[in-house]
Amino acid sequence: MLTALFLAAFSSAALADEAAAETCLKTKIWEGYNSGWAVRTATNATLGQGEHRIYLVTLYAGTEYKLMVCGDDAVVNADIVLYDSLGNEVAKDSSKDREPTVTYRAASTDTFYIAVHATQTKDAATKGGIATAVTYK
Amino acid sequence: MLSSVLFVGLLHLAACSSDEKPAEPVKPAEPAEPAGPPKLDKATLEAAAENVALVPSPAEMQKALDKAGIATGLSSMVSDRALKMDIENKDVIAVRTGVAMADALLTVKDAPPEKLTARLATVKAGMTALGGGADIAATIDDINARVTNNSVSREDLVKELDEMHGAIIPEIKFEAGERAVPLIQAGSWLEGSNLVSAAIVAANNTTAGTELLRQPQVADYFLKYVEVEGAGKAPDEVLKQLHGTLTKLKEIASKPTLSIDDVKEVKSQTDAVLALL
Repeated sequence: MLTALFLAAFSSAALADEAAAETCLKTKIWEGYNSGWAVRTATNATLGQGEHRIYLVTLYAGTEYKLMVCGDDAVVNADIVLYDSLGNEVAKDSSKDREPTVTYRAASTDTFYIAVHATQTKDAATKGGIATAVTYK
Repeated sequence: MLSSVLFVGLLHLAACSSDEKPAEPVKPAEPAEPAGPPKLDKATLEAAAENVALVPSPAEMQKALDKAGIATGLSSMVSDRALKMDIENKDVIAVRTGVAMADALLTVKDAPPEKLTARLATVKAGMTALGGGADIAATIDDINARVTNNSVSREDLVKELDEMHGAIIPEIKFEAGERAVPLIQAGSWLEGSNLVSAAIVAANNTTAGTELLRQPQVADYFLKYVEVEGAGKAPDEVLKQLHGTLTKLKEIASKPTLSIDDVKEVKSQTDAVLALL
């Protein structure tokens, strides 16, 4: 029931090509619960090659955070970069795929910026669906 | 003689032509692989930042409290309050719904079934009053039925409510308008901050305030909604107090470190809003 509502809530606001990204992300969120991860928020976007979304996020000192992204089939390489409140890069993924993750533990409670990039899509004119989650444990 | 020369010449030409590989078609140049993501400067980050992930959930506050060494369970501090949803002001309904959602989240592991279902029924009433649609109401009914029948584990319920708070509610298009979601979040955050500050004061922990309550950007985010989105609306006692409380919380949270007196002020300020609900 909740699963259906989760997908319905996402899909009602989502474009068709975001469905695969959302399903992928939801699977990762539920798998994460088995390892002690809980979800703060999940959201989605449609991005063209070279485009990005920025999310402001409060991170607690001592809490471990995992940022997760799933791109749909149109996305070849998605990237996550975490910046501190001064704009310094503090963490980023090193993979060249469409499902990057970044884990980070803040030294002090503060606000950070999560940049989610559609670094490469199948071709420059194609937009891809990208779902992003902030999880913690 | 001439024919022999011609024959040898033809053989030579044939040999030469058989050694030459056919010319390969010219391949179009591979499109250059895009470089990694560009480094973004602070101004770009600030200008483009969305607030959808800004606010910590009440369950996350509980976890941070544990990690700060304060063993007090917030669940034991949640009070029984009757939050009415049959009122005119949708902004106040949204704040109340957020408080009820926080209470349900924080007590889901160990609350007696009748208390948990009552809290979820309050959340449902708020969602309905805000025009959240039939799906969320049906989902809460389903959860309450399983709680009543004892057919769901509390661990699974933690996940379901966590997901409802963090991933489902923010995506709902409320008939009450776009500010319903941030004001629901504001209610949850105020309730969580109130309980966290009470736990810190009870433990007389002089350092935890800085780690757990220093969130000026969160207060500022909600304050902007109350100021801008509420402008022109009839003044409401709750919203006036909410504005005053958020202004004070932003001021306190902007300090580099929070003293125990600052934490007491956070508790006092959030008490003042919650008392009006």
